Amino acid sequence: MAETSFLTDDFLGQLISVGEVDILVGVPTHNNAKTISSIVETIQAGILTFFPRERAAIINADGGSRDGTRQLVMSAAIGDAQSRSKLYALRTLRSISTEYASSPASGAALRTILAAAELLRAKACAVISPESTQITPDWLAALLRPIYAETFDLVLPTYRRHRFDGILLTNLLYPMTRALYGLEIREPSALEFAFSGRLGSQFLAQNAWHEETAQVGSEIQFTLAAIAGGYRICQSFLGAKEHVGRHSADLVPAMRQTVGALFSSLEPNFSVWNAKTGSQPIPTTGAEQEFSLEPLRINRKRLREMFSVGVAELESVFQSILSPSTLGELQRIAALEEDSFSYSAELWVKTVYEFAAAYRKSVISRDHIIQALAPLFRGRAFTFLVENRNGSAANVEDDIEALCLEFERLKPYLLKIWNGRE
Amino acid sequence: MINADRADAQIIRRGGSDLPLEKDEPWYKHAIIYQAHVRTFYDSNGDGIGDFPGLDEKLDYLVDLGINTIWLMPFFPSPLRDDGYDIADYYSVHSSYGTLEDFKKFLVSAHERRIRVIIEMVLNHTSDQHPWFQESRSSQENPRRDWYVWSSTDARYHEARIIFLDTEMSNWAWDPVSKSYYWHRFFSHQPDLNYDNPAVREEIWNVMKFWLEMGVDGFRLDAVPYLVEREGTNCENLPETHAILKELRRKLDEQFPGKMLLAEANQWPADLRPYFADGDEFHMAFHFPLMPRMFMGVKLEDRKPITEILQQTPEIPPSCQWCLFLRNHDELTLEMLTDIERDYMNDSYAQDKAMRLNLGIRRRLATLLDNDRRRIELMNGMLMSLPGTPSIYYGDEIGMGDNINLGDRNGVRTPMQWSGGWNGGFSAADPEKLYAPLIQDPVYGFPAVNVLSQKRTQHSLLNWMGRLIAVRKTTHAFGSGSIEFLYPGNQRILAYVRQLGDEKILVVNNLSNAAQAVELDLRRYKGNILIEMFGKNIFPRVGELPYLLTLGPYQFYWFRLRRI
Amino acid sequence: MWEMIVSELTQAMGDLARGFAHILPRIIVVVIMALVGWVVAYLAKVILRSILRLIKFDRLSENAGASQLLTKAALPSATDLLCRFVFWLAWLGFILLGVRVLGIVGLQEQIAKFFLFLPRLFVALLIMFFGLLLATFLARAALLAAVNANFPSPRLLSVSVRTIIIIFVLSMAFEEVGVAEQTMLVAFGVAFGAMMLGLAIAFGTGGKELAQQFLEKRFVHGRKDDGKEDELSPL
Repeated sequence: MAETSFLTDDFLGQLISVGEVDILVGVPTHNNAKTISSIVETIQAGILTFFPRERAAIINADGGSRDGTRQLVMSAAIGDAQSRSKLYALRTLRSISTEYASSPASGAALRTILAAAELLRAKACAVISPESTQITPDWLAALLRPIYAETFDLVLPTYRRHRFDGILLTNLLYPMTRALYGLEIREPSALEFAFSGRLGSQFLAQNAWHEETAQVGSEIQFTLAAIAGGYRICQSFLGAKEHVGRHSADLVPAMRQTVGALFSSLEPNFSVWNAKTGSQPIPTTGAEQEFSLEPLRINRKRLREMFSVGVAELESVFQSILSPSTLGELQRIAALEEDSFSYSAELWVKTVYEFAAAYRKSVISRDHIIQALAPLFRGRAFTFLVENRNGSAANVEDDIEALCLEFERLKPYLLKIWNGRE
Repeated sequence: MINADRADAQIIRRGGSDLPLEKDEPWYKHAIIYQAHVRTFYDSNGDGIGDFPGLDEKLDYLVDLGINTIWLMPFFPSPLRDDGYDIADYYSVHSSYGTLEDFKKFLVSAHERRIRVIIEMVLNHTSDQHPWFQESRSSQENPRRDWYVWSSTDARYHEARIIFLDTEMSNWAWDPVSKSYYWHRFFSHQPDLNYDNPAVREEIWNVMKFWLEMGVDGFRLDAVPYLVEREGTNCENLPETHAILKELRRKLDEQFPGKMLLAEANQWPADLRPYFADGDEFHMAFHFPLMPRMFMGVKLEDRKPITEILQQTPEIPPSCQWCLFLRNHDELTLEMLTDIERDYMNDSYAQDKAMRLNLGIRRRLATLLDNDRRRIELMNGMLMSLPGTPSIYYGDEIGMGDNINLGDRNGVRTPMQWSGGWNGGFSAADPEKLYAPLIQDPVYGFPAVNVLSQKRTQHSLLNWMGRLIAVRKTTHAFGSGSIEFLYPGNQRILAYVRQLGDEKILVVNNLSNAAQAVELDLRRYKGNILIEMFGKNIFPRVGELPYLLTLGPYQFYWFRLRRI
Repeated sequence: MWEMIVSELTQAMGDLARGFAHILPRIIVVVIMALVGWVVAYLAKVILRSILRLIKFDRLSENAGASQLLTKAALPSATDLLCRFVFWLAWLGFILLGVRVLGIVGLQEQIAKFFLFLPRLFVALLIMFFGLLLATFLARAALLAAVNANFPSPRLLSVSVRTIIIIFVLSMAFEEVGVAEQTMLVAFGVAFGAMMLGLAIAFGTGGKELAQQFLEKRFVHGRKDDGKEDELSPL
C-alpha cells in the first residue's frame, strides 16, 4: 500500500486553498519562460472577458523546467495584492504550479491536470499549449463555451495552417481516425482542447496509466476515450497556428506520440471501431480548416532520398511487417526517377494498415515498427508536397478528402488482416 | 456546522437516488425506513382520522425526502386499546383507515415510486375482542380453547417479569366467562396466543401469507421473545420460540424470496444474537441497547457508552443487519441500562416525572434534545453513519414536539403537521373531531413546525434531512461496510471508519457542546486525501503525523478517503 | 565320472543362479526406475510443452532469429526441441540413477561428473538463446536509428552490431561450458579490440561534424540554424 501519489503535498495544499472552481485551464510546460508570461496573460484576459463571474484557476503542470517557468506562472495570479495585470477581476483568479516530474512526459502532465480538475470539481477545463504564441482571448471562449453551456463534453480545435504544415496529421492521423471511428475530427491529437468534468473524471479513472502511456502521447487516447464512451464532441475554430521550424530528428518522437498512441489504442477499442462504416462530420463552430498559401521552403529532395534509402536498407524489417505485394510495390516506386515518383494514396493506406496490424501482433518490438514507418512517411510526404505545390486551398482540401475516402474504402482490408496470420 | 449553504436550493430538498444494488445484495441493508402510522399521517375523507388514501397522496413527500421503505404500524381492525397492537382481525383493515382495496391501491402506488412497504405482524397476542378469543373463552370444549394459554391458577411461570409495570400487576388475568386465568405478557386485554398449538402456528403463517401474496415486502414482528412459555424460565428467548421463528423464515424463503423479517426484541446484544441464528431466522433486528446510549453519550459528552455497547455487540451473519433508530412510537426504553445509567437518563431527559412511563421516557426527538438544531443534526448524522439500517420516526424529520398529557404513549403519536393552516393541514374535519389534538404551543406547534414552511426555507431541518439522506445514499459503505473505531485521546469525539471494498469513509462526531480539537491517528490511511462529503471540498492528505481536526459544538464530519 | 560332471555342473549352475539371484533385484530396480523415469520424463515433456505454448515460446525464438537457424539445420521447432531435450535428459537421468544402484565402481564417478556438467550446459544454451535475441533486437534498433538519422551505410552498422554481440555471447557460452576457454577468450579480445579501434578511427576522422552536432544538441539549449531547418513540421 506504499504506492506514492503523483500529487505532491505542496500541490495538494495549493489545490485545497483554490477550492471548488467552475473553469480550469491547464498549461503543461517545459522550459517555456520566453512565452509563458504572455500566454498566461492572454488566458486570464480570456477568462475575465468571457467568464467574469465564474470561479476559475490556472494550473501549470511543469516537467522540470530550469528557466523559471513556474515562478513566472505563479507570479501572474490575480488576488488580494495589487496585481500587475491591467484587467479588472471580480474574483481572485488563482494561478498555481506543480512539477510533476523532472523531465517532460505529456501523459503525466495531462494526468496532473485531470486530477486537479477532479479534485476541484471543475465543470469545464481547457488545456493550452505553451507554444501557441498566436493565442488570443477568443480561443478561451471558443474552447470553453460549448462545454460550460453543457452542450458538449469535448471541444477539439481547428486552425488556419500552412497547407504543408502537419502532413502527418493530414495524411495519417486525421484520415485513419476518421475512417476507423467514423467522425471527421481534424485534430485528433490536439495540444489545445477543452473537456467537461465528467469526461475528465472518467478518463482519469481508467487504469491505463502505465509507463508507456505516461511517455507516449495521451491526447489522442483522450479523444478516443471520448469517442468510445459516446461523449459529445465538437470542433471550434481558433485561429492561426504558426509554422514551427523542425529538425528532421523530431519526426520519430512525434510519430511515437501520435501514431504509436493511435496504433496501441486500436486493440482495446476494437469493439468501437470495427463495425463503423463511413464517417460523419461533427458539429463545428467557425471554419473547419483553413489553409494559408505562402511559399515555404522544404527540402523535398532529402525526403525522397530518405525514402529510397529506407526501403532499401530496411527490407528485412519490412518483410516481417508488410505483405509481399505491398513491399514489392514500394520497392518498385523507390527505383523510379524523381519526376515520375508517386506514392499513391492506395499504396499509402495499405502500408499504414499493414503497419497497424503488425503493431497489434508485435511481430517485432513495437517501437521499432513505428521507427520503420518513418522513412515511408517521408516518401508519402514528398508525393503530397509535389501534388499540391501549385494548388489552391480548395485543391489541398480535395486531396486530403480523397485520401480520407481511400482510408474508408480500404477499411475492410484492415479488418481482414487484423486477424489474419497468426 | 455542516455547510448546506448551496445556491441550488432545489437539490437540497431531494433525498437523492439509490445506488444500484450488487447482485445478491440484500435490499434492506440500504433501506432508509420511515416509520409511520396511517392514522396519524393524512386524513383524506375529513373524519379526523388518517387513512390509506391520504397516505397514498403523501407518498411523493416521502420520495422527495429520499425514503425507500415505509414501515406501517398496525392498521388491522382493533378496539384500539393499545393503539392497534391489539388485533381483532388479521385479514382486514380497520374501517377508520379505509378498506382492503384502499390498502392495495396504496401498495401499488408505493411500489410504483420504488418504496417498499413493511407492515406490523403482532404474533404474540391478539385483542380480547378477536373472534378466536371469544371462541376460546366460551367453553373448555371449544376447538379454539387451546389457542390461548389458560390456567386454573395464576402461579405458573412466576419467573416471567411484568412488562407494562405501570398498568399491570400480573401476567395472568382472570376471565369471568370461562372462569380461568389466561396468560398475557402485555395489557390484560391482549391474551397471548398459545404457540405450542400447531393450529396456531399454521394460522399465523396463513395470515402472513395473505399479506405477502398481496405484495407487502416484509414484516416487523412484534414482541417475539415472548411467544413460548415454559415453567422454571423467564419465558423469554426460549429455544422453542426460536424454532418457531426459524420455521416461519424457512417458509418465507421458500415461497416468498426477497421479503424481510424485522424483529422487535428489546434484549441485551448477546440475547439478541440468537434471533439472527445462522442467517436463517430474522433478517433484521432493532438494536435497542444502542439507542439510549446515544442520548447518554451526548449528555455525558463522552463516547464511552456508545463504543462500549458496540464493542459488546456480537458479529451477525453477513446477510443480517441491525436496524437503528433514535425514536419510535413507544417510550424511549431504558430497560437495557444499569440502574445508575437509568437514573442518569431520567435526571437528564425526564426531570418531569410525567414524562416517564414503564421504565422509559415518552418524548420525541426534538423535545428530548431541547429543540437544539445542532444536536438533532448530530444524532441524525450518527443514525445514518453507524452500522445498520436507519429508521426515522414520522415527524422527527421536521422536529415535531410531543404532548405527554395525552396518556400512555399517545403524546408522540399526534397528527402530522403539514402546514400552518387548518388542523396543520392534516384534516379538513373540525379540530375537536381529530383522533388526537395537534401540538399547538408556540415552539413545537403546527404554525411553527410544519412541512410547508420548511420546504420554503432553504436551511430548514427538513431540507437538511433530505440532504443527509442523499449523501448517505452516495455509498453502500454505510449500509454494508465494516466499522473500525478510532480512539482519540479526546473522549468527546466519537470517530470511526466505515469500509466496504476500496471505499473508506471517516466519520468524526463532536459529542460536546463546545468546540473541540482532536488529533486522529490515521497512519493506516496514509496517503489518502480527505474529501468532505457534503461540500465535497478537499482536506489535507493524511501523513505520518496525527491528523488535526477542529469541530464546532455538536458538529460532525463525513470524509471520503481517496487515494489519487 | 558322469555323476561328477553332473554334480560340478549342478554346483556351477547353482553358483550362477545364486549370483544371478543376488544381482537380479538390482536389475529389477534399474528396470523399474527406467520405467518410472520414462513416465516422469513424459509428464515433464507434456507440462513443459503446455507452458511453452502459453508463453508463445515459438514466437520468441522467431524474434531471436533462432527459428531460422533451426530450420536451416533441419531441426524441429524450438518448442519441440526443448521438450525433447528435457524428455531425454530426464529419462537418462533416471536410468543413470538406476545404474548407480548396480554398484559398478568407476561408473559412479563418471555419472557424477555427467550430472555436474548438465547445469552448465543448460546455462550455456540459455545464454546463447537470449544472446541471439538481444543481438537481433539491437541490430534492428541500430538499423532503424541509422536510416532515420540519414547515416551512411546503415546496414553495415546493423550487421556489425549483431556480429559483435553474437561473438560476445558465443564466447560467454563456451566459457561456461569450459570448451576451449582460453582460445575463445583471446579470439574475442582480438576481434573486439580490432573492431573498436576501427570504429574509433572512422568516427574520429569522418564523424567529427556529427559528434559536434550531437554534443551541441544535448548540452546547449536552443537550436542553431544549421540550414536543415526547413524540414516539414509533421504535426
